[in-house]
Amino acid sequence: MILTGPEIIHQHEAGRIALEPFCIEQVNPNSYNYRLGPVLRTHRGPVIDALGEHPVREITIPDEGVVLRPGQVYLGTTVERIGSDHYVPSLIGRSSLGRLGVYLQVSADLGNLGAVHRWTLEIVVCQAVRVYAGMIVGQVSFWIPSGDRLPYDGHFGRFSEAVTPYPDLLTAGRRPARRGARR
Amino acid sequence: MILTGPEITHQYEAGRIIIEPFCADQVNPNSYNFRLGTALKVYTDEMLDVRRPNPVKELAIPEAGLVLEPDRIYLGSTVEIMGSDHYVPIIRARSGVARLGLFVHVTADLIDIGSINQWTLQLHAVQPVRVYPGLLIGQVTFWVPQGDVTLYAGKYQGTRGPQESQIHRDFLAPTGVVI
Repeated sequence: MILTGPEIIHQHEAGRIALEPFCIEQVNPNSYNYRLGPVLRTHRGPVIDALGEHPVREITIPDEGVVLRPGQVYLGTTVERIGSDHYVPSLIGRSSLGRLGVYLQVSADLGNLGAVHRWTLEIVVCQAVRVYAGMIVGQVSFWIPSGDRLPYDGHFGRFSEAVTPYPDLLTAGRRPARRGARR
Repeated sequence: MILTGPEITHQYEAGRIIIEPFCADQVNPNSYNFRLGTALKVYTDEMLDVRRPNPVKELAIPEAGLVLEPDRIYLGSTVEIMGSDHYVPIIRARSGVARLGLFVHVTADLIDIGSINQWTLQLHAVQPVRVYPGLLIGQVTFWVPQGDVTLYAGKYQGTRGPQESQIHRDFLAPTGVVI
């Protein structure tokens, strides 16, 4: 089951959902609107190696905004720290951005129970579009799980900046000790 | 919890789900197939800006079809007026459409409770693909919510046909926020 907006408010007040900072005006009928943080990262180099290092370039969005161009992925973050030990988050874009051809994630909308951080956004555009820091770009919904819980021991949920997979993260069967983990 | 196809039919008959026109042939085991309307809109400026209105022009999909080109967003709409005051709809492509490399929304699959419209589709083709009016292009699922319900009363309520982004209105509001 998906939580309604009033239920998201209730669960946030009860400390069972993290949305920080919280603004009541960002509550929708069945989701919560999040904002775009000021820093974007892009991959350098013509080919991205799934198991290699990923050098990135960092852009701080100026007041006049930044033009996103097709053909590359921009890693952004939410302004808000988002997560829950009790409800499963699903993070998507707003339709107002989708109507401009702006993807906010790349088929990876599902969050893990227990990961509370500023989420990384994978932004892809169909046409060139100017965006601004702090604008509302997407929404997160919360879903009731069924079953016993595993503690969160993933990698990305410990970061609040946009990070890429470390070498070998995507190799089956390998789960190295947490490297450089920090919030 | 997601409604099964027979439950979608039952809730439609009980007036708790709106799908107009409704056709029993379009009911799937756990979703309902919707059709692509005739009208499309495309932006006329090369560079879009979220802070200002972005002008559009309207296209009509002829019976012979229209080729959607990559690197451009096309706004279409469902033929059906759909929504519910009781269940949360989520839309997606049919897999037959996805296999052609055609997105029907751009990371905006979640519909608000109480949003009852011809829903705008955000069509994005990975390769050129020809589409036709009335194409069974996507499917809608319905999910049971938990908690008190506040119905959608946002800026796209009651719309018919494809609706371009109104996000520039966010930047006009004194609070900075329009849902």
